[in-house]
Amino acid sequence: MIFEERQIEKNNFSSRAILLFSLIILGLVTVLIKVFSLQISGYSDYQLAALKNKNYTVPVQSLRGEIFDRNGKVLIKNEPTFDLITRPNLILDIDSFLDEIQPVIYLSETETSRYRKLHKEKAFVNKELVLKKDLSDEEIARFNVRSFNFQNAFIAKRFRRISDHPNIFSHVLGYTSRSDDDFNSISEIPRSHWKDAELLYAHGLIKGRTGLEEIYDEQLSGRYGKRVYEMNARGQLVQSLSLTKGEQGSDLYTNLDIDAQKSAAKFLGNRKGAVVAIDLDAGGINVLYSSPAYSINKLSNGMNEDEFQTLIDDPNKPFFNRALQGRYPPASTIKPAIGMYGLSNNIVNWDFEMKDPGFFTLPETGRIFRGWLEGGHGKVNMHKAFLVSSNTYFLSLAYQANISELSSHLSNLGFGQKACLDCYDEDQAFVPTPEWKYSMMNAGWVKGDTVNLGIGQGYLVATPMQLANYASILATKGQFVEPSLVATGSNKKSSKIWQDNRFDDSDWSKMHLALLGVIESDYGTARSIRDLKEFQVAGKSGTAELVSLDSKEAYLEVRTSELLRDHSIIIAFGPMPNPRYAVSVVIENGESGGAVAGPVAIEVLKSLIDE
Amino acid sequence: MNRLFQRIYFDPYLFFSLFLLSTLGLFFLFSASNSDTSLVLKQTVYVIAGFIIMILVSQPDPDIFRRTSGLFLIFALLLLGITYLFGPEINGAQRWVRLGPFSFQSSELLKLAVPIFLANFLFDKKLPIQRKEIIFSLLIIFCCCFFVFRQPDLGTALIIACSGLFVLFLSGLSWSFIGGSFVLLIISSPFIWNILLQPFQRQRIATFFNPDSDPFGASWNIIQSKVAIGSGGLLGKGYGEGSQTQLNFLPETETDFIFSVIGEEFGFLGVLLLISIYLFILLRCFYLALSARDRFCRLVIGGLSLTFAANLIINLCMVVGLLPVVGMPLPFISKGGSSLLSLFIAFGIIVSMGTHKKFLPQ
Repeated sequence: MIFEERQIEKNNFSSRAILLFSLIILGLVTVLIKVFSLQISGYSDYQLAALKNKNYTVPVQSLRGEIFDRNGKVLIKNEPTFDLITRPNLILDIDSFLDEIQPVIYLSETETSRYRKLHKEKAFVNKELVLKKDLSDEEIARFNVRSFNFQNAFIAKRFRRISDHPNIFSHVLGYTSRSDDDFNSISEIPRSHWKDAELLYAHGLIKGRTGLEEIYDEQLSGRYGKRVYEMNARGQLVQSLSLTKGEQGSDLYTNLDIDAQKSAAKFLGNRKGAVVAIDLDAGGINVLYSSPAYSINKLSNGMNEDEFQTLIDDPNKPFFNRALQGRYPPASTIKPAIGMYGLSNNIVNWDFEMKDPGFFTLPETGRIFRGWLEGGHGKVNMHKAFLVSSNTYFLSLAYQANISELSSHLSNLGFGQKACLDCYDEDQAFVPTPEWKYSMMNAGWVKGDTVNLGIGQGYLVATPMQLANYASILATKGQFVEPSLVATGSNKKSSKIWQDNRFDDSDWSKMHLALLGVIESDYGTARSIRDLKEFQVAGKSGTAELVSLDSKEAYLEVRTSELLRDHSIIIAFGPMPNPRYAVSVVIENGESGGAVAGPVAIEVLKSLIDE
Repeated sequence: MNRLFQRIYFDPYLFFSLFLLSTLGLFFLFSASNSDTSLVLKQTVYVIAGFIIMILVSQPDPDIFRRTSGLFLIFALLLLGITYLFGPEINGAQRWVRLGPFSFQSSELLKLAVPIFLANFLFDKKLPIQRKEIIFSLLIIFCCCFFVFRQPDLGTALIIACSGLFVLFLSGLSWSFIGGSFVLLIISSPFIWNILLQPFQRQRIATFFNPDSDPFGASWNIIQSKVAIGSGGLLGKGYGEGSQTQLNFLPETETDFIFSVIGEEFGFLGVLLLISIYLFILLRCFYLALSARDRFCRLVIGGLSLTFAANLIINLCMVVGLLPVVGMPLPFISKGGSSLLSLFIAFGIIVSMGTHKKFLPQ
């Protein structure tokens, strides 16, 4: 090539080389810009993504609070048990491991087969696996002696929820069980991580299901802690990075009283019924018992299918909380309320007298309402009407009542609405009104319905809780505050003070005197319980008729069938003249109120007052 | 020492920058391989061998490379044929050939042989280059690429194509021809997509354009690579501290994705330093090309250094998500003896071409 041609070629090469090298530099700059956008502009997003890749956060269970009675005696505690936990990643030969551990720990067929099934998966991801739950003391001792042989296993403390009185507090305390709906309580822990939660309880993540365990679940369960593990791309846990401790649940100090509850259970025996007792000073519920009951220890700690089915199928319905959900006609116990209505509406006064021939005839239809004593009680005023429980007196008083006014009067006394501030699943029962009857039965309200209310029969129903609440209002002369199991005065919404300026202090005194006479006088219907105690008690008993009967013969026939027998009811408060406790007792199919329910009420009051 | 350097053909700029680069490479590789000492030791042996080979290859006169370029190409193609017939299949690809105790990727030699052969073929041709010369050159490039592509090894095939095309372009390919081929390429792209590409290669390209389509499958690699680089930030997480790398979220850390390891552990400053070293090497090659003694040397230096640059940029673009994933190591850093040795040979040839003048001072 001649020189000139070479020069052209060289220039040509230079310009093309410059072009290509410029493109290369452009490429490198593009890469740098991209890297800049990843590392500088997008840093926080990518840093988060990298953390999300490697951090595996699991919840750490906290200890649940314990529950105490009003004297600081424990009702439900956390009882430690011991589980044998293994580290499957350190167990290379599962057969020889099981052979080695069998003489130390007894293992059932299901336990070994479950272990074999889960071993490989847990070993791969370096997670722990429970081999045996609830070791016996002997097994613990045997294992501890040989623990140097088992670097791949250890004993861990796991708690159970235990009550020393599992059968008498079943409804009020309630039970816990494994929970599957807690996954949202910590937002940064994905749902799938909950299966690896660090457990304190033998039964896993537990939650209150009924009773106080449910109502105060949030307070009792405290807060989950969390542990962050470093996890590699294969899902294996590499190491624990951090542990944020949770918050132990707060203990619950209730108004319940173990001794009084025991009395209630003891004297109710195996009869169906309920007892509610309330401390009048603060409105604390001291007794809330429903019979028959069941063991919450068994329910909380794994009851087998058969036992559970037996409870469900039991015709006496042990799961039914009669104290809060049982709807009973209040019967004669309603009479003080009717009396209050009559007095405050000037239908009657304390001096008004009438003749009780033993029955009341409804003028409109000629229907006859009978009293409990054939031939009647002769001349009765209000005081005597309470003492002898004259039906005629209150039937004729109710006859003159305005039904809407009477309904609202009963509502003001707590009927037809929830009485307890913190009870689980309380029924509000109800107070009938003409509107209700029209919409439910498509029938008009008749005078006979109002008259029936006068003796607590007919459509009016109340729970034992409402009856105790009503007894408390009577006992405190209307000053009573909302009853509660746990909450103290400051947490209560409002004090429920019953007030009517047409019903003054002297009316209250006379009312107390009359109700005292029901038990303490020679004529009182509940005088049979007078001598069971050393203090004075006021009250009103009742016998709720399940079948409305107009003749004595039919009545005798009904008595032979137990389930159709009357319920016996009593409300009582004492010690008089300055009552501290009010109580209500309902015994299903127990017949006469004073003689049957009365002794139970007295025993409960005794154990409350004797303290 | 100085006297020794004066008596051998040696470029101190390239030597020291390559020394820095490959030393850093060993350092990075140790972290990227989760502290695999034996792997790093093996790689160290390759690096030392590479420097010796580079110095040895720098000594012969460029004319010797020129005259043997035909034989070299035939030798390289022969090895490729042996690989094709007898090579063991690893991960569904036949790329390796055994020579005694060593095994290497025969396609690496073609990266050298193709540009040198074309430079020899074109260096004395008049400007502009004639059509039949172009066709002959393209045929050579196509054949070599095709065999490598069928191994299958898309990355290396691409690099070989680049190496040949760079030489063709630098030697004065007319612009009209370039424009024409470009149009042809676009027209034939559906054909390439449907017939030439393997299903897994099509999958990779599809993922590139829609990375969220399958985050745990095909696009896993590129997502994790971006997370690794992005989470490095300005200063990085520290040597051996990159969680994406150390906990194996990042795939192929020792080979294709080692740049992501550097990005994660040394951050933007580390990346800047690394790219600066590469840029320095490229600029030095550019200078050597412009000051080379004749057209053959210029074409060879240009071809080889641009191939090196293409290799680098494809790898970088791939790991930061600018290009689909193709198997392509980061030069002088990624694990692998064959590619490292072929790079050292290439730089040996570049030094030879750049330092031999027509008339040496002595």
